[in-house]
Amino acid sequence: MAERLDLRVDLGRGLHLLSPVMVASGTFGYGFDAPQVDRSALGAIVSKGTTVRAREGNAPIRIAETPSGMLNAIGLQNPGVDYVARVYAPRWATWDLPVIVNVAGDSVDEYVAVARRLDGIAGVAGLELNISCPNVESGLQFGVDPVLAAEVTHAVRAVTKLPLIVKLTPNVTDIVTVARAVEDAGADAISAINTYVGMAIDVRRRRPIISRGSGGLSGPAIKPLALHAVWQVAAEVRIPVIGVGGIMTAGDALEFLLAGAAAVQLGTVNYVRPQAAAEIRDGIAAYLMEHGLTDLRTLAIRPMSALIHV
Amino acid sequence: MTIAIAPAVVVERSVPMAGAVELVISQPPSAVAVAPGQFFQLAVSAPHTILRRPYSAAWSDPAAGRIGFIFNVVGVGSAWLAALGEGEELDLLGPLGRGFDLVGHRPAICIAGGLGIAVFPGVVRALIARGRSVMVLDGARTAAQLLPASRFAGADVQVATDDGSAGHHGSVVDLLANLLSDLKQFPFAFTGEGQSAGLDILTCGPTPMLTALIDAARRQEIPLSDIQVALETPMGCGIGTCLGCAAPQAGGGSFLACQDGPCVRADRIAWDLMTDGFHG
Repeated sequence: MAERLDLRVDLGRGLHLLSPVMVASGTFGYGFDAPQVDRSALGAIVSKGTTVRAREGNAPIRIAETPSGMLNAIGLQNPGVDYVARVYAPRWATWDLPVIVNVAGDSVDEYVAVARRLDGIAGVAGLELNISCPNVESGLQFGVDPVLAAEVTHAVRAVTKLPLIVKLTPNVTDIVTVARAVEDAGADAISAINTYVGMAIDVRRRRPIISRGSGGLSGPAIKPLALHAVWQVAAEVRIPVIGVGGIMTAGDALEFLLAGAAAVQLGTVNYVRPQAAAEIRDGIAAYLMEHGLTDLRTLAIRPMSALIHV
Repeated sequence: MTIAIAPAVVVERSVPMAGAVELVISQPPSAVAVAPGQFFQLAVSAPHTILRRPYSAAWSDPAAGRIGFIFNVVGVGSAWLAALGEGEELDLLGPLGRGFDLVGHRPAICIAGGLGIAVFPGVVRALIARGRSVMVLDGARTAAQLLPASRFAGADVQVATDDGSAGHHGSVVDLLANLLSDLKQFPFAFTGEGQSAGLDILTCGPTPMLTALIDAARRQEIPLSDIQVALETPMGCGIGTCLGCAAPQAGGGSFLACQDGPCVRADRIAWDLMTDGFHG
């Protein structure tokens, strides 16, 4: 019975996932720290945001719990792309599981430099352009402007043969405009969404809890917002959309798939229930069986314009 | 290290001192693996909460398959935990991180402020089992908030209270400083082996207490590498992936309380950058 089920996803340019359940950037490190997670349930790992040079990240305090969510302002702490290419990629190359490197930078040149360094490196299955980090000085600069978003996408597209996903920010007036712009600039897929900018204040000490003041809000608190963004974007682009934002259960993941997402990414839930990926993958499979479906292609409520499983 | 994600059962709930709750849970595989000072991520199901709560094990008993946690109610998560009754299930992840380094023969002083004492029952038991001389210095606002000395069998227990209701009237760091300032009056340091080889100091408490301790140690010319701190800080994952529990590192950068700690030597910490979002 389960053999008849096909949970595969095609994100374009040869990036095939065996499961629609991915883990979101920044919530799974570089894939080495969570031995209790059943990797076989995952379609892909998206790495921590990676920059040209190593970054130390923001000063403590970096996280805070908020109602049904959490704020984080890690600040792109990472060992730099050279270390990732030399030390991590060879280990990924021995895995069956695709690892997608999340790429961040302060300028088009920095994004391009990271992409160049990773092109042709065994173990790197794709890139996810992070034009949506709210926790560094110029993190949102590219994501909130369709022209700049297209410019950086186009520039990276020109220097890499790897599948290219662009991760959008919801901190915009019209996310569809940015989605169309990055599609036209050569993105193979879109991740929607990154965190919402938010904050929390320590009333007793009279200051923001997060040292940077603001942080990115994730978790179930943003799920309805993320879902609506995916619903909007999936209707307007022809490339696959990966739904991200507050997914805790298989039911949540199915909402995103029904809204038109080709796959989903798990974030905050990885901190809470390390076994969530397997539960969610199994829950999606059970839903398909229960509804007499054999694959994910016909799941979306509206016909998907995305040409997945061509 | 194996990290268990396992349902545990609360087998005992008690009030070990005023304002605190002690939960004893049954989780045999985890209990066997606990090193004193390690912590667990406890799942809570209070409304609108998300993250697990990191708590150091107060003690573990591998033979009986028991782990104890001592905590106070500071928010909805700890309130939910405190309301658990005997027989109820608890989802825990751990043991996690690095415990105290207990190797050596020197006398050890365990100095705690407030709920910082919660990590020490198991630590003291392990130190005593290694044949080490142990002094426990416990500070609290008032006598009722002190963990009973009977929890530290074999150790010399001295206390300090802010209101003078028991022991030294004042801070526990002052109590230590008084003791250290006249080592000849401090017979404890001159018992057992390694008489003149100094002391190991193990600590846990609020940041102001820790920074006062560090200042006192500097005045007494005690190397900060002789002091080990059990850090407490907000945590996301507890396993090194979220990078949320970064602590300021001496010499620059940060280290992760969950992976490199929670127990670290005091010379690893950039004390001038410690905020009161941290607790020992």
